[in-house]
Amino acid sequence: MTKLLEVKNLVTHFVTQDGIVQAVNGVSFEVNQGEIVALVGESGCGKTVSSLSVLQLIPQPPGKIVDGKVIFAGMDLLKKSKEEMQKIRGSRISMIFQEPMTSLNPVLTIGRQLTEGLQFHLKLDKKEATRQAVELLKSVGIPHAEGRLNDYPHHFSGGMRQRVMIAMALACEPQLVIADEPTTAVDVTIQAQLLDLIRNLTLRLNTALIIITHNLGVVARYAQRVYVMYAGQIMEQGTAIDVYHNPLHPYTAGLLGSVPRLDEPRRTRLQPIDGQPPDLIAPPQGCPFAPRCVYVKPECKLKRLPLVEINSGHFTACLVAQEGALPWKKILSLK
Amino acid sequence: MFNLFYRAKKEVTEPETSSRQHHTLWGDAWVRLRRNKLAVLGGSIILLLALAAIFAPLYLKYDFATQNYDAILVGPSTEHLLGTDELGRDVFSRLIYGARTSLAVGLFTQLVVLMVGLPIGAIAAAAGGRVDNLLMRFVDIMYAFPDILLIILLRAIFGGSIFMIFLAIGLVAWVGIARLVRGQILSVKQRDFVAAARAMGGSGAYVTLRHLLPNSLGPIIVAITFNIPRAIFAEAALSYIGIGVRPPTPSWGTMIADGNNVIYAAPYLVIFPAIAIAILMLSFTFLGDGLRDALDPRLRR
Repeated sequence: MTKLLEVKNLVTHFVTQDGIVQAVNGVSFEVNQGEIVALVGESGCGKTVSSLSVLQLIPQPPGKIVDGKVIFAGMDLLKKSKEEMQKIRGSRISMIFQEPMTSLNPVLTIGRQLTEGLQFHLKLDKKEATRQAVELLKSVGIPHAEGRLNDYPHHFSGGMRQRVMIAMALACEPQLVIADEPTTAVDVTIQAQLLDLIRNLTLRLNTALIIITHNLGVVARYAQRVYVMYAGQIMEQGTAIDVYHNPLHPYTAGLLGSVPRLDEPRRTRLQPIDGQPPDLIAPPQGCPFAPRCVYVKPECKLKRLPLVEINSGHFTACLVAQEGALPWKKILSLK
Repeated sequence: MFNLFYRAKKEVTEPETSSRQHHTLWGDAWVRLRRNKLAVLGGSIILLLALAAIFAPLYLKYDFATQNYDAILVGPSTEHLLGTDELGRDVFSRLIYGARTSLAVGLFTQLVVLMVGLPIGAIAAAAGGRVDNLLMRFVDIMYAFPDILLIILLRAIFGGSIFMIFLAIGLVAWVGIARLVRGQILSVKQRDFVAAARAMGGSGAYVTLRHLLPNSLGPIIVAITFNIPRAIFAEAALSYIGIGVRPPTPSWGTMIADGNNVIYAAPYLVIFPAIAIAILMLSFTFLGDGLRDALDPRLRR
């Protein structure tokens, strides 16, 4: 497998009146060709900002990519000009957004919005673009595709709109699709359908996929590798199986413990993680999870802890785990 | 190329046309506008008056400038529908020709307003930062300048042809539209589809023209419709104080001013043009109200 995307030590800050928000603080991750990778974490942990930084869609100002490298297919994206980035966005890397209800322009027809990307990136003429738009709509499971090209977004339901968004994102057969919580805003019944659709289409096109989510169920079912993020840093990374069955970080264990499961006795209580994520204007000096961590040691609060490979391909930033102990394992298995 | 995709419904081989009716957004707005009786009334009056003004020479018995000294200050009669003025000119003819002036003022000033205000507001909002700041402070200065004084100044500089009146009134009124356009675009800019368009590789100009402006259009159309009666009134006021349209071109404002001199002898000389101004302004206001309701995004389904 060849590396498609390599993000190295990405640092993205936002300048606000209260101070500098260190939204992403030294994040590194890789995506191989055709691979499905998940970025997991709670709201505000920097998942979205990391992916927007890859596309350079961070509003500047107030945002700023302070440090790091984004290597995509051998090119350093952070060194690209505005025009070069415009050519890459949508054709080689595209994005599926969270809110299908607002991510389509209400005054343009679906056909118009689908064909414009094809015309711009693939230089197709109008007729050919329309023909492909119909194929795309069919491939994402929209019935009567020919007739629906002239419909406006408000004629579609949320799930259907998200299908259109998926069609738009895949229109130019990109090498990488970033799906930012693609199913958070739709019904639970539709979520699995949409995710299956995204997975099947990306597999067919050999497109790599980054799923950004806070839903661990999604990760377990679809992702091959997982990065667990917290407070703008990566806490744990590994294959989905490793991370699920053998979490090497108390934060991951905490996330797993706070998910309701069907295979448990009904009266089992969920175990929430106490406390709040840290203030990113003045993040803690050491491990950002230390203030909420049950297993914290004095050394944890001294300096930032590096990611260390414990098993092959399974990294953790937790000092306790690095020293060989996994005290949270007992609690998880007790559940 | 797309044989990579599986087909959602394999049995669909020939294109099916759905029986669903296709509504466009503007089509929906049109339907809502037609349901509003006052707006239809206003629009009809405007249309009727416009047609009457355009085709005036075809059906009017009298020219607007022909003076008839045998019939001075004659009251309304079958010969002169709305009477004659102190120079023996037919008031009805003058009113219809005066509508030409008023409607032209309403239309062309808004053209000037759009040509100046729209790009300035759009550029300010799209560019942001220092450009935005600079343009908006210029707008603030223009806004703070007394309107009438500015119009008189512009009239003094550009002279007195009717086109200069369009220009003068337009150059006073554009600031409001510039602010509105900027505000609209700034709010549309925050919406998700703009980020989606940029993520699809749209350039700044493309996003502005294709996504930002069309989504800001509704309130702009409404504002323009409300601006028209104000411009008409401004022209009438200017003509009334004698710095508007030059005689003999008829203007409702001039007619009122002339009638003022003989108001006790022939009050209808003031009343008829005043009613005409009131009806036209009211019609535009009704139409504007209707448009606002029709284009209100909250009503969109």
